[in-house]
Amino acid sequence: MSFLSDIGPFIPALWDGFLTTAAVSAASILGSFVVGTALAVVATYGGRIAAMAATIYIEAFRNISFLVLIFFFYFGLPELGIFISAFWTGVLVLSLAVGAYVADAISAGLTNVQGGVKDAATAFGLTTAQRIRLLELPLALRVSLRPLGSLFVNLILTTSILSTITLNELTNAAKIIASTTFRPFEVYFLLLILYSILTYLCSVIVHRMHVRANRFLAT
Amino acid sequence: MPTQEGFNHFDLMLWLAGLGVTLSVFLISSVFGCLLGTLMAIGRYYQVAVIGPLLFAIGEVLRNSPVIVQLFLVYFGIPMFFGIRITQFDAAILVLTANTAAFMSVVGLSALESVDREQVLTARSFALDEMDILRRILAPQALIVALPLTIGVLVNQAQVTSLISVIGVADLTRVGHILNQKTFEPFIVWPVIGATYLVISLAISALGKHLQKRVKMSGPLANQKETFAFD
Repeated sequence: MSFLSDIGPFIPALWDGFLTTAAVSAASILGSFVVGTALAVVATYGGRIAAMAATIYIEAFRNISFLVLIFFFYFGLPELGIFISAFWTGVLVLSLAVGAYVADAISAGLTNVQGGVKDAATAFGLTTAQRIRLLELPLALRVSLRPLGSLFVNLILTTSILSTITLNELTNAAKIIASTTFRPFEVYFLLLILYSILTYLCSVIVHRMHVRANRFLAT
Repeated sequence: MPTQEGFNHFDLMLWLAGLGVTLSVFLISSVFGCLLGTLMAIGRYYQVAVIGPLLFAIGEVLRNSPVIVQLFLVYFGIPMFFGIRITQFDAAILVLTANTAAFMSVVGLSALESVDREQVLTARSFALDEMDILRRILAPQALIVALPLTIGVLVNQAQVTSLISVIGVADLTRVGHILNQKTFEPFIVWPVIGATYLVISLAISALGKHLQKRVKMSGPLANQKETFAFD
């Protein structure tokens, strides 16, 4: 059990890293949801030019590797005189990049909403904004929840890339522990398991939400 | 005072070298990953005892953990734990192949399961052996389902290759990093590198669409093309 005695003193550091990973994940999930919803609404209701702009955004952010995006912002923003921490750079880029995927998932949900809903809303005198906010988005979310879940699992895994811009999250904490204890295999193997547990928990939560959101739709 | 800043023609060579490394790592890991993933999918489809569940578990861990951690585990962990020397390039190929295989096994399994089981049972009652069933009945139909999903996986994997720069492989992203530190021009370097990845991804997508068209034209769904006259 020498591994346990070796790693014992580092458990607080690992816990701190975990908390940073959790915080950056939570903030980015929220951010990407906002970005993605805005993009999806613009792409679905905004007319041809807005839809085209949204498509270009989505294609660009989906087809450029995340590491390149993060370096672009991390090294580029200070050139523009914007100095923000690695944490907030990470949240910003994750929100923008994952937002592109989220937009696709929500757009698919929005196009799935039946035309009758729109007619009924108009008959009740709802404005377009009210109709989208109160009826179409909630209905779309029911369908989109499951794909969103796997996107957010992916987002949690992607936070590990933020270790390259010096954010002291779980992977960076493990890197320090591995180089101090000279036990990289055990440390990274433990990390592999930790991430698997984390993402498994996330998918369980999303599954619960999916079941709850669709509880009135008996099949 | 004149400094070493600014770009010169060596930078173009560096970019080409990085592009070469990225493309070769992508091609090698994709070919072996797809082969391995298909084998894993067949193993799980036939529910081979012990191996099937084991493949499932390995695939799940690979898909649910960050590639960076897998790279660190192989590149730093294996030499220390097993006393085997492993180069950065080998570690990169190993991890990306395993990763592609994990995703492809899911694609392959869902493609195989999309073929009606009745067909397999019918073929068996006609005394076709399993190899023939797999080759003549399952594979052609599964291919149609698997192709678009495979393209999606490969486009994603092309971007994942950028992570190998973290263990020091001199790929496109590493070249970007070097040029960025040399020239201090992030607004030139990173858009160029980003555009390169964009072109690679779009090329894979275009190739995939072309293949898909050809497979559909020769497949069993050939006469099921867009013929909805009143749509």
